[in-house]
Amino acid sequence: MKKVVLLRIDDRLLHGQVVVSWIHFLKVNEVIITDDEYARDEFMCQLIEASAPENIAVQVLTVYDTVSYLMGEDEGSRILILCKNIETVKNLVEKVEIDTINLGGLGAAQGRKRFHNSIHLSDEEINILKDIARKNVNVEVKMLPKDKAVVINGN
Amino acid sequence: MAIEMTYGNFFLLSLFYFWASSTSLSLGIGYYTVYRPIIAGMVTGLILKDVQTGMQAGALINIIYIDFVSTGGSFKGDQCLTAIIAATAAILFSLDPIEAAAIAFPFGFLGILIWKYRLKINNIFVRIYEKKYRENKFSDICIYNGLLPQLLLYLMSFAVIVTAFFLMFLFCNLLIYSDKVTNILYYVGMTLVVFSAFNILFKLRNKKNFIIFASFFIVTILFSLRAYQLFIVLLIILSFISDYKIFAGYNNQKNRIIRKRDLVYSWFIWKNFSHSCYSYERLMGMAFAHSMKNIFKRLYSDRDTVRKAIHSHTEFFNTEPNMGTPIHGYIISLEEERKLKNESFEEGNISYIKKSMMGIAAGLGDSFTQVVLTPLYISMSLMLCLDGSYYLSLLPVALLALNIIFISYKGFMKGYYHGRDSLMERIKAVKNSKIKKYFPFMFSAILGSTMGNLLYPAVVENILTKIIIILVILLTFIVQTKRFPGPNSNL
Repeated sequence: MKKVVLLRIDDRLLHGQVVVSWIHFLKVNEVIITDDEYARDEFMCQLIEASAPENIAVQVLTVYDTVSYLMGEDEGSRILILCKNIETVKNLVEKVEIDTINLGGLGAAQGRKRFHNSIHLSDEEINILKDIARKNVNVEVKMLPKDKAVVINGN
Repeated sequence: MAIEMTYGNFFLLSLFYFWASSTSLSLGIGYYTVYRPIIAGMVTGLILKDVQTGMQAGALINIIYIDFVSTGGSFKGDQCLTAIIAATAAILFSLDPIEAAAIAFPFGFLGILIWKYRLKINNIFVRIYEKKYRENKFSDICIYNGLLPQLLLYLMSFAVIVTAFFLMFLFCNLLIYSDKVTNILYYVGMTLVVFSAFNILFKLRNKKNFIIFASFFIVTILFSLRAYQLFIVLLIILSFISDYKIFAGYNNQKNRIIRKRDLVYSWFIWKNFSHSCYSYERLMGMAFAHSMKNIFKRLYSDRDTVRKAIHSHTEFFNTEPNMGTPIHGYIISLEEERKLKNESFEEGNISYIKKSMMGIAAGLGDSFTQVVLTPLYISMSLMLCLDGSYYLSLLPVALLALNIIFISYKGFMKGYYHGRDSLMERIKAVKNSKIKKYFPFMFSAILGSTMGNLLYPAVVENILTKIIIILVILLTFIVQTKRFPGPNSNL
């Protein structure tokens, strides 16, 4: 299995400097954007790949493809997974091993309440995250590597 | 005290501070011009009738903030307030601009309060708007995105600037007439400015940049290279490497329902109000809806439909307001399409398109307008100002403003006429941008010359300082070459 260094949840996905700072910090060399909707949208795939930072391999994959890709042989790559919704994360965590889930930015929407700074979550989403945290996955709100983490635990 | 501060002056300054820090009502270029310390210092100087001192104080503050980038409304200090305080202190108490900069520096943290609470407070206007909308009451987006947030912002700015002036006057009156204090202030200010400049240089992380910086610094000190000479050379270089593709024009195809002037007006509203009701909950969502108002008025005659249509665009939206304009143009063309096909607002995927495009445009846009263009042009302006070319130093700022206007206007129109491919084209153009590629070199040269000019008076007087400074530069250079083995410019 390939090495996933971080899974980040962020509306903006591959968002300029914020992501670049994580890439430097964790020495990431591969980014996977897991999103069923985008993976099926050819234009979005092109757009995301065109905006990728230099020297970083970026792919847009469905949950299914992400899982089968990660099951492949470890060739020493350090992977950052970016998702924009929590349902996707739930499906991923069920199938692959991930140590840390990072909440970077989730905008307000119907049913969502402000959780911390720029993180908005609905009650249902908080429950999903708590379920994940109970499986010994580290779930935390952290915008930038130097920020202080706000941990979501299972209780 | 040579010049007295009148209530009239103070009122003008508070009005200016509000206008500059609001970044609204200035065609979107306020953030790149009047908000920058050098221009803020100049305007303060105009109000207090000593433009040169004002500009110098502003320029020094600007060096400290030269690598300033705001992403999502978070940053380290309010440069505009700092500049106003520095310029006022320098003029009213006849201080050296460097001493004034040292006094003003802490005030940046006072100004940040506004930005911090502004994003929270603006949530209130979003909620009132939503409530009125639900109750079917009169809910004009202009009021909730434009008028009310701006009025509140003026009150907040006023409170902050009153506090700042009070503290500044207190401090200056207590301490300023002691030579010892002013001496200490001079060294504090100098250290701040020099430290900031070197800090920025180290962030560029490349030994080539350091070589360029050091050579221009030494050439400026030894052969008194003048700022305008370097400026002319840079202008020539820039005219060769400008990225035409980013500004590339559009084909004026046939308009269907929406006319050209509707597009221009919508762009005008967006440019003026993109950050007017900037809130944690929606960021620029209200502004997007505001800029769609006249478009929907053209498309639909029924008042209720217009209201619903505008409301459908108030959802969370955030992008770089200039590079991201193809999104607006494209969305307008989609809305027109929707009307022509007689579809309802629940159908279609306009919201999905907006959300998927905005992040990409934001990241890429900031990495160009804020990280490359702004420091490049503003640093040229600083270099000229600190060398005494006051009039000429306005030229780079004007060029920057023109760049920004062109980028946003062309993108807007292109998005409408050419559709979503215009955003793709823009992304590719920015990635292959020559200005972006050569920016670190030009910037290091400008910084080297600026620092040379700044330290020149201290150096000419004393041969010993001259030797020490050159030795320090060489020493840091040797250390740096060992620390950064090769070019590494991922940012």
